[in-house]
Amino acid sequence: MKRFISILCLTAIVVCAGVFSSAEDVEWREDASRVWDTTEVRGTDPEMLKKNYGRTPHEYFPYSEFSDPYRRFFREPLQYRGYGRHIPEPDHVDSVKIGFLGPIMKTVSVATGGASHEEPMGHKMMQGARLAIEQANARGGYRGGDIPFELIVRNDNGLWGASGNEIITLGYKDKVWAILGTIDGANSHIAIRVALKLELPMMNTGDTDPTFIETNIPWVFRCITDDRQMCYFLADYVFKKLGMTRVAALRANNRYGRMSIDEFRDAATRLGHPFLTELNYKVGDTDFAAQLTRIKSLNPEAVITYGDCEESALIVKQMRKMGMNQLFLGSDRLVLPKFFEIAGDDAGPVAAGYPYNPESQDPKYLEFCQAFRERFGDEPETYAAHAYDGMSMIIEAIQRAGLNRALIRDELAKVTHYHGVTGIKEFDPIFNNISAACLALAEDGKFKFFTREELLGESDAKFTQSESVKTEGE
Amino acid sequence: MKTCFIMLLFLTPGFLSLAGEEAPVLAGEPYVYKEWETFYQQEDGLPNDHIFALKVDGDRLWVGTEGGLALYEDGKWKSWTEEDGLPFNVVSSIAVSEKTGDVWLAMFGGGVARFSGGRFDHYHQLNSGLVNDVVYGITVLGDEVWAATTAGVSSYNFVTGEWEIFTEKNAPMEEIWCYNIDSAGHKVYVAVWGGGILEWDVEKRYWDAHHDPDREMEIDLYRDDGLIHIITTSVSMSEVMWASTYFGLSRYDGRHWRGYTRQDSGLISDFINFADGRGADSCYLSTDLGLAALVDYNTNTWVTYKRDSEDAKNWTAHIMIDNNIIRSVPVHLTLPNHFIICSEFQGNDVWIGTGHGLARGIGKGFYDGLKRKTD
Repeated sequence: MKRFISILCLTAIVVCAGVFSSAEDVEWREDASRVWDTTEVRGTDPEMLKKNYGRTPHEYFPYSEFSDPYRRFFREPLQYRGYGRHIPEPDHVDSVKIGFLGPIMKTVSVATGGASHEEPMGHKMMQGARLAIEQANARGGYRGGDIPFELIVRNDNGLWGASGNEIITLGYKDKVWAILGTIDGANSHIAIRVALKLELPMMNTGDTDPTFIETNIPWVFRCITDDRQMCYFLADYVFKKLGMTRVAALRANNRYGRMSIDEFRDAATRLGHPFLTELNYKVGDTDFAAQLTRIKSLNPEAVITYGDCEESALIVKQMRKMGMNQLFLGSDRLVLPKFFEIAGDDAGPVAAGYPYNPESQDPKYLEFCQAFRERFGDEPETYAAHAYDGMSMIIEAIQRAGLNRALIRDELAKVTHYHGVTGIKEFDPIFNNISAACLALAEDGKFKFFTREELLGESDAKFTQSESVKTEGE
Repeated sequence: MKTCFIMLLFLTPGFLSLAGEEAPVLAGEPYVYKEWETFYQQEDGLPNDHIFALKVDGDRLWVGTEGGLALYEDGKWKSWTEEDGLPFNVVSSIAVSEKTGDVWLAMFGGGVARFSGGRFDHYHQLNSGLVNDVVYGITVLGDEVWAATTAGVSSYNFVTGEWEIFTEKNAPMEEIWCYNIDSAGHKVYVAVWGGGILEWDVEKRYWDAHHDPDREMEIDLYRDDGLIHIITTSVSMSEVMWASTYFGLSRYDGRHWRGYTRQDSGLISDFINFADGRGADSCYLSTDLGLAALVDYNTNTWVTYKRDSEDAKNWTAHIMIDNNIIRSVPVHLTLPNHFIICSEFQGNDVWIGTGHGLARGIGKGFYDGLKRKTD
């Protein structure tokens, strides 16, 4: 009886949600009217309740071989139920301030004690954000009234949790309406917890750590495809397409290396192919002979690394020198021209996840690339392109909502799909971009980019892996 | 319309009884706070309506807001802002030293302040051993003040003047983002965002850690196997440990864990900003949808206070067993928003702080647990 009633209740929830929420997939909903105190700016998608969070294939889902979980999280839209929507707009502003938080100044690395290393990424991110601001101002600024958008830039890679102090300054002193940032996983986590307390929308465009968004904070958005999606593609390619079973890992001994490889490691384990070993190195190391000697003795079919471009390239170079011709796997951070400058054009078989297709012929993307080149005299890359998309989304949300942080948050929370320069993004109930990743394969000293369909014969649109889900608590 | 009505019936928490399922019966009557007082910035003298922290000090109440510090004493308000010497306007947590009577303030981005004899002493990253100026929580244990910051924990012995810092270097912190702190006996308890709950034994100088046993973010594998989630938001020691998360509540008696979510209890929402234990059998939870009070652990009886609709002027108390509403009682509480950030007990009364206003539930005739007919 209990089971029957549970099923009946679930059915009723599903039907009701379908009736009362307009779940059509639009870029931006047209009903931009203010919804004071409304807690359901985005209703529960009944289809989402049937799926695993994060498009996780059944075989990669935690404990799927042993037990159904008592509770599953992240399948209902996060709601903000505070008072912020009542706060009136200021009578006058000279500019509409939007915060930027990113690594733009050289400092000492907390992880290594050596030099910091994320500034090149931070500068590109800032350029992408700046371009979006400048273009919005050229179109007439805030609501066409010639009030300009203004980028307030703060550095985030100081020591002792400086990112927290910077975001306090952005929120309380600079009084920004939203913030874009950042790249480092630890700084991102610090920033979003502060943003929650300040009730300030935060758009992330550079941190691919899956756990960043898995915190249930209704003020946080991410427009870059994360390591969960990149790892799933990589795992599908390695274990299902190539049929490999023996993988060894050598990753950076920092938060990025530890957290970002997680989903690939879990996928490998859950398919019955746990890593032969998982070794690490210190960021900035140049000699990996000790680790590679150990790995070589285990006779792997593939070696995976998660770390920055320089170390990844040095590892593959030293592998080839040692006669290790295995498939080399890595993260999106190695997908740079610099990789081949260090590793050499003949780096052998290399595959890495990538959050978008930089060879896209989408006119929107080509137009962005052209504008970026003209403005900065340089090519855009992933951090610039995603920052441009994230800042464009913030600006659009402000134009629709007006100058109220909670209403800006609501506008961003309504977005289910967004066509940016990095492609069409799909946002899940916790405001994470779950669009399928690409895979970069090395070929003749260059990376070529492939979709799931091209490599696995599987449509990106069908990459949904739904499964029947038991009633929670059953 | 009829179809919608029937569907809505299915959604009603008390639907079990309508469907023929045996409705749970109250083992006794829980106490319900029916009378409330409210306080706002403009009308009542609070420096700001956005309430972050409450601390009872005998008959007095200290209030930390986004725009200053306030004191409620003998029915009157007094307040301090940066203009009055408060080092930073955003007061996120308050502790009072039983030994000295000094008031210690955690400031969100401003470090720590001691308010003593009408003077503020300011401790921050650049003049002390405070590990970060973004301070979420503060507690006093004996001669030591403990501060939970976004980059670890700092302790300050106000007798010797000695500071000590705990981060991932010298404590089992998987992450260093410390969100809340409490102390009892000879232990300090820290809620670590992404790191569960840490216990520091001051006498033995030893850390113990409590994590989510399934080690997964997207699920809770078993209900009572440990912390519901590794993302903890507060910890309250009151005979047992109560730990809140944005995914539900956990209770730990030193041997057994118990998990609570909105699926299996009167917890209105799993998004809990603050847990306030009231003994081993009761805990008040500040959630984004109102105040959820577990009033009797053994029978899983709850009283939840919230506005039932967006245009409701008064709040309603729902008496619940598990997640079934047994009875609803209107209460004289008119706060316009039920996003509750903090709570504090003052004798039989309970205070709640929200994003827009402060309220006191007057505990006239208050009793613990359930009043049975034989009582």
